[in-house]
Amino acid sequence: MARSRREEQIPHGPLHLILVVATLVTMYPVLWVITIAFSGKQSLAIADLPPDPSFFDRLRAVIPWPQHWSFSNFVSVMTDQPFGRWLLNSIIVAALTTLVGVFLSCTAAYAFSRFKFPGRRLGMMSFLVSQMFPGTLMLIPLYIIIVQVLGLGSTKIGLVIVYATTSIPFSVWMLKGYFDTIPKELEEAALIEGASAGQIFWRIVLPLAKPAVAITALFSFMSSWNEFILAATFMDKEDMYTAPVGLRFFVGGFSQQWGYFAAGSIIVSIPVVFLFLYLQKYLVSGLTAGSVKG
Amino acid sequence: MARPAHVRFAVGVLLAGALGSGLSFKFTREAVRHETADVERRQAVVKLGGLTALVGRAGGDGDALRKAVAAWQAQEKDVAQVRVLVMAGLRLEASTAAADAGDRAAPRRLQREEKPFYDRGQRLATAVRTNREEETARKLEIEVAPAATGRRLSLAAPVEADGDIVGMVEIETTELPPEPAEPILPYILAVVAPLAVFGAGALFLGRRRWPLAALAVACVGGSLVWLLTTGTAHVEAARLGTAQRVADEVKAQAGLLASLSAPTSTPAPPAAPAVPSTWDADAYRRPLGLLTADGAVDKQKLAEVGRASDRALRRSLLSADGLALILLLFVGLGGANRLGRTLRRNRQAYLYIAPAMIGMLILVFFPFFYGITLSFTDSNLYNTNQPLSEIWVGLRNYSDILGDFSIVKQGEGGSVVNYLNFYWTLGFTIVWTVTNVTIGVTSGLILALILNTKALALRPMYRVLLILPWAMPNYITALIWKGMFHRQFGVINHVLQMFGIPALSWFDHPFTSYLTALATNGWLSFPFMMVVSLGALQSIPADIYEAARVDGANRWQAFKAITLPSLRPALVPAVIISVVWTFNMFNIIYLVTAGEPGGATEILVTQAYKFAFERYRYGYAAAYSTVIFAILLIYGFIQNRVSKATEA
Repeated sequence: MARSRREEQIPHGPLHLILVVATLVTMYPVLWVITIAFSGKQSLAIADLPPDPSFFDRLRAVIPWPQHWSFSNFVSVMTDQPFGRWLLNSIIVAALTTLVGVFLSCTAAYAFSRFKFPGRRLGMMSFLVSQMFPGTLMLIPLYIIIVQVLGLGSTKIGLVIVYATTSIPFSVWMLKGYFDTIPKELEEAALIEGASAGQIFWRIVLPLAKPAVAITALFSFMSSWNEFILAATFMDKEDMYTAPVGLRFFVGGFSQQWGYFAAGSIIVSIPVVFLFLYLQKYLVSGLTAGSVKG
Repeated sequence: MARPAHVRFAVGVLLAGALGSGLSFKFTREAVRHETADVERRQAVVKLGGLTALVGRAGGDGDALRKAVAAWQAQEKDVAQVRVLVMAGLRLEASTAAADAGDRAAPRRLQREEKPFYDRGQRLATAVRTNREEETARKLEIEVAPAATGRRLSLAAPVEADGDIVGMVEIETTELPPEPAEPILPYILAVVAPLAVFGAGALFLGRRRWPLAALAVACVGGSLVWLLTTGTAHVEAARLGTAQRVADEVKAQAGLLASLSAPTSTPAPPAAPAVPSTWDADAYRRPLGLLTADGAVDKQKLAEVGRASDRALRRSLLSADGLALILLLFVGLGGANRLGRTLRRNRQAYLYIAPAMIGMLILVFFPFFYGITLSFTDSNLYNTNQPLSEIWVGLRNYSDILGDFSIVKQGEGGSVVNYLNFYWTLGFTIVWTVTNVTIGVTSGLILALILNTKALALRPMYRVLLILPWAMPNYITALIWKGMFHRQFGVINHVLQMFGIPALSWFDHPFTSYLTALATNGWLSFPFMMVVSLGALQSIPADIYEAARVDGANRWQAFKAITLPSLRPALVPAVIISVVWTFNMFNIIYLVTAGEPGGATEILVTQAYKFAFERYRYGYAAAYSTVIFAILLIYGFIQNRVSKATEA
């Protein structure tokens, strides 16, 4: 066939070569952290070098394969160290943030997409502009409000409130772009059938917007799961740390517990990585739908 | 349904009256409390001053002292107990406390559980010595604290002899009277009276809008001005009353001391003649100077001292009144009516938006504007409790940041770059952003084009593995790469040494340090571009290529005419957003290079953070952040213009 002959003109060999190199570069840091985690040691060296190392000694120290496999870092990071508690804090905070943030964003985005009302443009613009507010400018006032006025320093609620509100603008724009693509005729038909506005929103629009809601929830979850600066500023009691603050605690300052860090990193990354890979089909459609609409 | 003008104005008069009078009540009560709250403390301090003078005159220890103290206590009804400490030998020299009777009666050695009492004496002695050495008034020389039980005060002052501290006098007052209440009646009157006057006037004016407005403003304004004058007069009276009571106390103490000194026959003259008016002192034993030498109230001085707080009170009252008048006009001229109508008509829309909007207002917009306000002050670690108006510096922070062009400084050993200079950091940030986005777009696009090849084996696997950096939390990525660039154990240096290149101290030189951050950020940012490009590529229908092929286009022509134009709508927004992300990529710089060496590789946001949380210059950091915001805003405008122009 003419078509397949044409396709064969690009040889797949070089393409595979490029992809393999790119994949190796991509995977190396991941393999490195896995190696350190399973090495059973706290050192960041993969292998011990003799005083005058040869080429192959060095090569051994570069290949991400531990000298001895050991689970001890995983066991002791969860038992000897308070990491389990930090992980639990992160789970609670991220889950609540997602729930609250997505709910608030869905309703607001729906109103922005469907209703015409005074202040609509201003509201959308203010959400957009707020995305440019530099975080460092907000940090001091936020600290005053959350910690000094509301007394929510070192509490999960304080962190949830901040994460949920700061995630709103991005989520609203994302969801609004998607709501815009849902034909209005569906809702008009439902209206004629006698559905209330609430029913239309919950029964028709939200189910149709599932991909966009999923992507928004993912972003919301990931951004709070991965957030570091605010958590480090607000949580000054050690047992209220979230996982990111705790991981930094292992290798920040004079602490050099790379084994704990690596084991903890793998534990922290696994849920987000899998969630991300599972939801990535929504990711492409959500992002391009949002971005093409502008 | 528009309500008639006279009803609107009546409601406005009521609301404005309530608001203005309520706020006036609050401010005036606060000011009066401030004036009267001091009276008990100052009276107690005067008593303490008198007693200290008495103790000093009695010689600091011995029976004469105990007798004098007992006599003083007998005359002084407002003092519950007196205890005198002598440092040498840890002795309780005199005491009228109920607990110090029987075998615990003074004089005796202090017991173990009385350590806090002794410590208090030590603290005061140290404070006096420190203040003398430094010639300042930094440490408290009179301690006033709430007593252990009830609404009582416990005060302590040091006892001096021959220029050194030998002991301490401690008194505890009896139960203090409750705080006075501000009469509320005038404030109720100030709401009701204007309403009545307005009602009567409206009968004559009918429904004409502007005359009604004038009448309403006159009514509310008149009553609020009346409240203002009575309120300030009230505060002044309270201040004078306080001063008078303190003056009376001073006189009483002087009299008491004179009567007590008559029977004592000790020939020892007092070390210094006691001046009763100096007993009215602050916590550093400095006379307040509100009394004349003979113990009367110095009204001129008092007015001078009170001027600042009077001005502050008047300012708050006037702004409250202004607020009330704005409310009046808003309601009266129909603004509230229209607002209410709009809200009702779009009830549903506003209901859907309200929760998100309220959260945003409190936790995004308010902090933002507060931060901008902070940028005009000299706020730092040491003055966070002061009101902003006192640390206001105007545009100084901005001129310090933007007006300093000395990037290169002429040092002793040649010229050095000042890495803290704003323009250095700005230049670095721009280089950082441009290089990162270029790398991200190029590598992402190339990989996407390859992955889009039809029938390529293992395509899903490559795709999943290549997305991994995006899925990983970026602070973990940053810390991993920091570990890999370690001078001694890092794998990067091992690879270099495998090929005979000496190990590098990556973070010791600006350029190599920049490379570490670039590698880290490049690694984690290309998947975003790849996924976006891939999505756009896959949305191009295959028939278009088919048609192009039929028309005789070769691969390159098809790429230029079909692929690139279809990529643009997805890629342009992605580039725009990724510029902003990279510009603000805090975690990578903060965790990988940490600005090493010497702040050379800071980007604007990390530099602002360090000014705030490492150098504690909050005001300066706020101004810095505001400048960053302005830059992003300008970028946004230009980008908007450009993309509109290219779309047209």
